[in-house]
Amino acid sequence: MRQTPLLDEHKALGGKVIDFSGWALPVQFAGILQEHTHTRSSASIFDCSHMGEFRIKGREAIEAYDALITTDTGRIRPGRARYGALLTGDGGYIDDLITMRLGGDELFVVTNAGSLDRVAAVFASQVPGLVDESAETAKIDIQGPLSREILVSIGLTAAAALSYFGLTQAEWSGYPVLLSRTGYTGELGYELYLPNAAAVPLWRRLLDHPAVAPAGLGARDTLRLEMGYLLSGQDIDGSRTPLEARQDAFIDWNKPFTGREALEKQRDAGGYSVLTPIWTDSRSAPRHGFDVYRGDETVGVVTSGTYGPSVERGIGLAYLSPELAEPGVTLTAGPRRIAIEVTEIPFYGAGTCRN
Amino acid sequence: MDFPEGLKYTHEHEWIRDEGGDIYTVGITEHAAEQLGDVTYVELPEPGMVLDQGQAAGAVESVKAASDIYAPISGHVSEVNQELDRRPELVNASPYNDGWFFKIAEGNLREYDKLMDCKEYARFVEDQGV
Repeated sequence: MRQTPLLDEHKALGGKVIDFSGWALPVQFAGILQEHTHTRSSASIFDCSHMGEFRIKGREAIEAYDALITTDTGRIRPGRARYGALLTGDGGYIDDLITMRLGGDELFVVTNAGSLDRVAAVFASQVPGLVDESAETAKIDIQGPLSREILVSIGLTAAAALSYFGLTQAEWSGYPVLLSRTGYTGELGYELYLPNAAAVPLWRRLLDHPAVAPAGLGARDTLRLEMGYLLSGQDIDGSRTPLEARQDAFIDWNKPFTGREALEKQRDAGGYSVLTPIWTDSRSAPRHGFDVYRGDETVGVVTSGTYGPSVERGIGLAYLSPELAEPGVTLTAGPRRIAIEVTEIPFYGAGTCRN
Repeated sequence: MDFPEGLKYTHEHEWIRDEGGDIYTVGITEHAAEQLGDVTYVELPEPGMVLDQGQAAGAVESVKAASDIYAPISGHVSEVNQELDRRPELVNASPYNDGWFFKIAEGNLREYDKLMDCKEYARFVEDQGV
């Protein structure tokens, strides 16, 4: 398994380390429920060093990149980030990604670990001069309502001025740190990109703060799902398009991108299954892979499901026929045929991410 | 990990305790609770339900997983731990006491005697390598 610069820290903190997309990463420290609640009420730090980072410089390279992805990079002002996707020619997902504009002619792109090799291969062959910085870049996320004051308290004062999806290049303890006000939890939070050598000192400095606790992949998953955020490789993959995943808002139709023709055809034909939020009225939860039933008829499949600690019931995302994807529709799921109801996202509406 | 003596254990990581008076208490082992992580929901059988050994008798869910609960021996359900509806975390906090699941009356003693004791179960867990 591949290791992040923080693996020894996780072990020393009692983290339960698992294989995630080929990376040794902690799934939990104190326990998923406790880490989840702590993130919503205080602040947690997450090791996301497994993710991919790419730097793209110059007008020609940016244009080549723009022609690949669903995001119109011309709409991203310096110091801002936007969410989008890289698709296959068939319109299926290779990965979802965040594009940041550092300056007038420089982009920084963040992708997931699971399909990193594939994404890197596409970028390397299509975007001249692109630099893959994944191996030498560590990433620490701090998420939770106290994140801003914590970063300010350790000298990262630039955090205070950032609006949601804003970013800036800062310095901490002599290390360059790219700071973006983004995250995967629904809470006020920041993602910090730094050289590998800075990871351990920054992680320890953050943990010194009495309000900060470490959190693992388990809490990351319950937090993101309560917001209805997608997990690449699970909710979206090569067999699903952004239309099916109901990510229409992140497709800029005013420009070319890979997979555009396939999406136009699908959009015009209609009738495709759509990713739909579902929940239970008990603590019993739908689970990844559960079939969804109307009576005895199979009408869909659950791609993500868990107990939602902040909403105190089972929540999930399922691909359903479009006529069933209406709030209030009741169905059943899984071998025990638990009752589910179609609802709306976010499941959890009190997140502080825009505060 | 140590497993209490005087209990019997199943390959499904359940324990069963002879309470005398033909009553047996059933729960999941500390090892199972640890593997599941934070337990969030327990589905219990209906009191009075007649169980055959190995029959699904409920389910236990955690944040990250779900699994069925099976009847370790034949008998009928005499009582269920309703406290778990409100406090499923008792399964993690006290797997052998407050976190019990249900009781079986008129249990099949022959089936009970054939289940693993704590040493055999410890070996079974070790062999599974988890």
